[in-house]
Amino acid sequence: MTATGRSALLGAALLGLVVVAVLSVGIGAHAIAPGEVVRALLGEGNPSDRAVVLDIRMPRAVLAIGVGAALAVGGVLVQALSRNALAEPGVLGVTAGAGFAIAVGSSFGLAASAPIELGLAVLGAFGASALVYAVGSRSPLRLVLAGTALSAVLLGLTLGLRLLFPDTFDVYRFWSVGSLAGREQAPTTVPLIVIGLSLLGAFAVSRQLNAIALGETVAHTLGANVARVRTVTLLLITLMAGAATALAGPILFVGLIVPHLARRVAGASIPWLIAFAALLGPVLMLAADVGSRVLLPTGEVPVAIVTAFLGGPVLIWAVRKYGAAPL
Amino acid sequence: MRTTRTRRLAGAIALALTVATAATACGAGEDGKADDGGQTRVFAADNGQITIPVSPKRVIATGYAVPALLEAGAPLVGVSSWKRGIPLFNEQERKKYDELAKVAGESASETNYEAIAQADPDLIVIGVPKPVLADIDIKRLEAIAPVVAIGPSVPSMWRELSRKQADAAGATAGFDALKTAYDTKAKALAEKYKAVVPQLKLGHVGAYGEVAKGNFQREFNGSWGTNIAQDIGATYYGQVKVKGGGSKDVSEYPSIEELPTAFAQADAITYSVAADGSVPPPVKYVLDSPLWKELPAVKAGKVYPFRYTEAATYRAATSTLDAVDQAFAPLLKQ
Repeated sequence: MTATGRSALLGAALLGLVVVAVLSVGIGAHAIAPGEVVRALLGEGNPSDRAVVLDIRMPRAVLAIGVGAALAVGGVLVQALSRNALAEPGVLGVTAGAGFAIAVGSSFGLAASAPIELGLAVLGAFGASALVYAVGSRSPLRLVLAGTALSAVLLGLTLGLRLLFPDTFDVYRFWSVGSLAGREQAPTTVPLIVIGLSLLGAFAVSRQLNAIALGETVAHTLGANVARVRTVTLLLITLMAGAATALAGPILFVGLIVPHLARRVAGASIPWLIAFAALLGPVLMLAADVGSRVLLPTGEVPVAIVTAFLGGPVLIWAVRKYGAAPL
Repeated sequence: MRTTRTRRLAGAIALALTVATAATACGAGEDGKADDGGQTRVFAADNGQITIPVSPKRVIATGYAVPALLEAGAPLVGVSSWKRGIPLFNEQERKKYDELAKVAGESASETNYEAIAQADPDLIVIGVPKPVLADIDIKRLEAIAPVVAIGPSVPSMWRELSRKQADAAGATAGFDALKTAYDTKAKALAEKYKAVVPQLKLGHVGAYGEVAKGNFQREFNGSWGTNIAQDIGATYYGQVKVKGGGSKDVSEYPSIEELPTAFAQADAITYSVAADGSVPPPVKYVLDSPLWKELPAVKAGKVYPFRYTEAATYRAATSTLDAVDQAFAPLLKQ
């Protein structure tokens, strides 16, 4: 596909993002007429409608965009780094680390509020990925194996804590659902800034990752510092996936599916892949989040369930129709 | 040769089984529970017509039967964990609760059958709602002792059920005195607030909303947070959108977006707090919402925290009446 074609598709993806973002702000449990939504966005109209639109739906939409972009771009980076089409950010132990930290914190009565829970999740995510990198930094395969092994250990320990401490079970149960609901009062500014800066960082290393994708020898020949790019990329993945997991809990499918969908249009170009993933990830998250509000008449479905429900069949359809795109 | 060995092995197994069976039978006989000639009666429980001892000596209580039987002074030998009721126990009940073997966790699925068997009960009183009974292997428990399931289907049923639970355990001696004390206090408070409380359309925010789902718990008449206040004349207007049976008939979990609609007509709003007065996270989520500040009742300053909304016995409910009195006191000055 030519650069012009890709640019056109990128524009279409951006338009799609705007459409689902508008839907996300307009649809919810409390019915508000479209005109009132617009008035609320302008800071006018009924105070309750304004509060629903500006204080609940808008922060939630921003959260969906940030989390979706972080997980999707994190997925692109981890697949490029590990040269494994089945890799997603959780493979570095980020999700298991965050969950373990939440479980430990709640066992000691520390996870009493959203900010503390957020801090614990970030600490756990960073701790786990640092350990994985320390063990498996020499090769992509070792990295994936170390991540998988550490995740299994941490999941086992978390399970043990949940069984030993019933209160931990409750806290973990709510966190592990993977949801964007009820987060509007949590301190999301810092994690969202971290995600934004990391996305810029991902674009900055994308060309060198392109070189590494051709093989280490070729990358060296092209002047890329393989070790440094790997370290920076791993740090970016950890920052993005750690912040996203801390904000919304574990949402696994986005980081796996979106890179595959993006690869259909971006080909093997990492910069294009990142650009498409940064738009398609939020589109998937926002669409899933809107779905989570309207799918059942009895109440909301956690967004992680909807992403899996939507994303799984979409991935199977894409693979069956087009075949798996090469990394 | 192989046939002979097989026969010897079969013989040895048969002998071992016979000895084991005889030993078990002897054990049951020595135990004496079944053969002590104690009087029995038939008791109507959620799990059917059950034959139980008239005066049980070793009782296991789980769920809502724990506070009821502790208060009744039943001869308990084991209880399930009942953390939510601890702040409502008096000193004696707390001491007894701490001493007793814990034979189950907070939920019915955490029942420890071996611990129950080890406690050697002659009666097991299960105080969990009927749908939750499916989480318990009743047949397995019946192999240990007679089992009576007496659980609430709606929260306000604690009045009848606490008596029934005490009755099953043969411990109704002090029950009427506690009930009378409660009724007397409720009547006095109803008189005290008759000029203000019955005129209010009330709404209640419960403590069991799920922040992770972005919802809150709204409780109506007959729910845990409201039923005791009703005894002094409070009325919680409205009803659940869809009746789901049991406690789902008297409380629901709307999205936080529906807060303005839910309490638009409320003259005053009450909400559940912990025994120490702290606000539980699901309630704090509502109280910190910008939508809360827009509610007419909140703007009018008519919001009242209720402690001890978990009460499921008359003595505990008397403490709740005191807490409701304390919460509603400002109404008399307005």
